[in-house]
Amino acid sequence: MKRSWYASPYALWMLLFAVVPLLFVCWYAFTTPEGAFTLTNFQEFAKPRYAAVILRSLKHALYCTVLCLVIGYPTAYFLAGRGFNHTQSLVVLILLPMWMNLLLRTYAMMTLLDDNGVLNAALQAIGLPKVKVIGTEGAVVMGLVYNYLPFMVLPIYTVLKKMDYSVIEAAEDLGCNPLRVVTRVVIPMSLPGIVSGITMVFMPAVTSFAISTLLSNGKLRLAGDLIDYIFNQSSNPNRWNIGSSFSLMMLVLILISIGFLRKVDPDNEGGGLW
Amino acid sequence: MIDETRLIEIKGVSKSFGDTQVLHDVDLYIRKCEFVTLLGPSGCGKTTLLRILGGFEMPTSGEVLFEGKDMTGIPPYKRRINTVFQKYALFNHLNVFDNIAFGLNLKTPEQLGVKTKKEKKAEIERRVTRMLKLVKMEGYEKRSTNALSGGQQQRIAIARALVNEPEVLLLDEPLGALDLKLRKEMQLELKAMQQQLGITFIYVTHDQEEALTMSDTIAVMNGGRIQQIGDPKRIYDEPKNAFVADFIGESNIIDGVMLQDELVEFCGVEFQCVDEGFGAREPVDVVIRPEDIMIVGEDVGMLTGVVESVIFKGVHYEMMIRGNDPDGIRWKVHSTTMQPVGTRVGMTIVPYNIHIMHKARTADAEPVAESRNKEA
Repeated sequence: MKRSWYASPYALWMLLFAVVPLLFVCWYAFTTPEGAFTLTNFQEFAKPRYAAVILRSLKHALYCTVLCLVIGYPTAYFLAGRGFNHTQSLVVLILLPMWMNLLLRTYAMMTLLDDNGVLNAALQAIGLPKVKVIGTEGAVVMGLVYNYLPFMVLPIYTVLKKMDYSVIEAAEDLGCNPLRVVTRVVIPMSLPGIVSGITMVFMPAVTSFAISTLLSNGKLRLAGDLIDYIFNQSSNPNRWNIGSSFSLMMLVLILISIGFLRKVDPDNEGGGLW
Repeated sequence: MIDETRLIEIKGVSKSFGDTQVLHDVDLYIRKCEFVTLLGPSGCGKTTLLRILGGFEMPTSGEVLFEGKDMTGIPPYKRRINTVFQKYALFNHLNVFDNIAFGLNLKTPEQLGVKTKKEKKAEIERRVTRMLKLVKMEGYEKRSTNALSGGQQQRIAIARALVNEPEVLLLDEPLGALDLKLRKEMQLELKAMQQQLGITFIYVTHDQEEALTMSDTIAVMNGGRIQQIGDPKRIYDEPKNAFVADFIGESNIIDGVMLQDELVEFCGVEFQCVDEGFGAREPVDVVIRPEDIMIVGEDVGMLTGVVESVIFKGVHYEMMIRGNDPDGIRWKVHSTTMQPVGTRVGMTIVPYNIHIMHKARTADAEPVAESRNKEA
C-alpha cells in the first residue's frame, strides 16, 4: 500500500464534509430556489439592514484588532524578554481560556458583567453606582477581545522569541536610545508576527458568531449571526440562496486576507494558522 | 602610528555574575590608534571586558576612563565606540545599504557636518558608498542581508560599525565563523583598514595566531586576570608564565631546578641558560618551544631519546620523542627533516631558547604582577 493511502480517511472526510458542502454553497449562492442561475442573491446585501450588519462587523472587528494589538504586543514583548523566568507558566495562562468552549467563556462573561452580576455587586458593595455593560457595543468589543487576544499574543511572541538579542545590542551600539530600539528594530523585525496576529484576530472577529448576540442581549448582530438568522428565516423561500451567497462573500474576504498576509510574510515566519 | 596618549584606561575592574567572579581587578590602558587584542581561552573574561567597554555590562567595581573621563554608567548609544558582534547581528528587515546607513540615519544633519535633510541624505549615501568600497562590497546596496554568505555578512557588519567613524572599534571574535582561508584574508584586511583609518581596535579572540598576526599589543587573559601584556614578539619570545607559554604557540613545559644564575637542571642534566635572579635550588618551570629543539646524532646530543610518532604538518614534521631520562619525558619537536619512528636521536637546545619561569602556585594562575607601565 502506498504511503499516500494512509491519508485517505482524512481525504474522504474532507470531501464529504468540506468540499461537497462548499460546492452546495456555491450552487445555492448563484441560483434561485427554482435552480436558475442568478446574481440577485448578492444584491440583497445592498439593503440597509444587511449592509449595516456588515459595516458593524467590520467596525467591531477593527476595534477588537486594534485593542488586541495594543494589549497583546507589550505582553508578548514582556514574555519574550530575557530575565523573566516564568514565561512558560504565563504562556499557559494566556492559552488557558482557549481550552474552554467559546460559548462557555462568553456565558461566563455575561455572568460577570450582567446588570446584577459579579461586577455590579462588587461596585455596589463599595458604594459605587451600577454600570450597564451588557447590551452595549463596549461589551461586544470586550467579548471579542477576550476571545481573540491569545491569537494576537502568540504569533508576536513567537517572532520576538526567535529574535537574536544581539540585534538589540547592535541597535543601541549604533546610537538608538531605548525608544528608538523599539521603533526602529524591534517592531520592524516583528512585523511578520504582527501581520499574522492581525489576520488571526480580524478574520474570526469579522465572522464571529454568538458572542455579539449574547453580550448585547440580541441587539447587535454581527455577520456570523446574520448568516445564522438568514438560514433560520422559515418564511423566506430564498433563505438558502441568500445565506449561501453571504457565506461565500465572507470566504472571499478571508482568502483576500491570506493573500495579503503571504505578501508581507512570505515565509510564514509569524507561524500563523490561516 | 600609535599615539602615546592613553585613550582608554581600565582601572581595577572586577565583574561578578551572581556568585561567579569573571574579572579580577583588571588594569589595562589602550593608546590611540592601537590594535589591542584580548587573547585567552573561552571563559577567561575577555568578552565580558569587551562588553564593559561597549557599555553592555557594568563593572562590579573599578572604573573605565575614556580620555580621562569616567564612562561607567554611560549607555552604549552615547559612547563613541562601535562594536562588531560575534554573530554579526545584522538587521534582516533592512537591505545592505540601510544596514550600513543605520547609525548615520540616527544622527542630525549637523552631526554629519551638513545643514539640510537633503544634504544629509547625500552625505549618508557618500559615506555608505565609500564604506562599501572599503570592504569590497560595491554593488550589493539593494541586496537582502539574508542572501549574503558568512564572509559578506561579516564585511557588512564591519562597514556598519566603521561608517560611524568611532574612536574605538570593538570586535568580538568577528572571524570565528569563517573558514581558514577567508579568515586569513580578513585578518590582513582588518589590519590594513585599521592602519588606513587610524581607529583604535580592541579585538577579542581565542586564536593565538590571529592575535600574533594583527596586534600591536596582546593582553593574554586567563581566569579573569590579565596574565601578560606586551607586543606579539615579546609575548611569544618571553612568556611570563607557563600558562602564557602554553597558550601562545606550542611548548614543552618541564619541571626544573635553578642551580645558580644562568644554570638550570632538568632531566638530570645541567643546562646553560640566560635567566638570572632566581633563588638557589628554586623549583621552576622550564619552557622550550618545539622548533627550538635541534635533532642531532645520539652521541652528541645533550639529551637523548627515541622517536615515538611523526605527523606531517605541512611546513614541518611534528615528532614526539620519549626521553631516556628516568621520568621518560615526551618532547614535542618541530623539524623540517623527518626521523622515522624508533630512531634513537640526540637533542640540543641553545641557552637563549631555554625560558625559565617561576612556578605558578595554582593551576589557575595566581595574579602575576603585570603592568605595562614598567615596560613602557
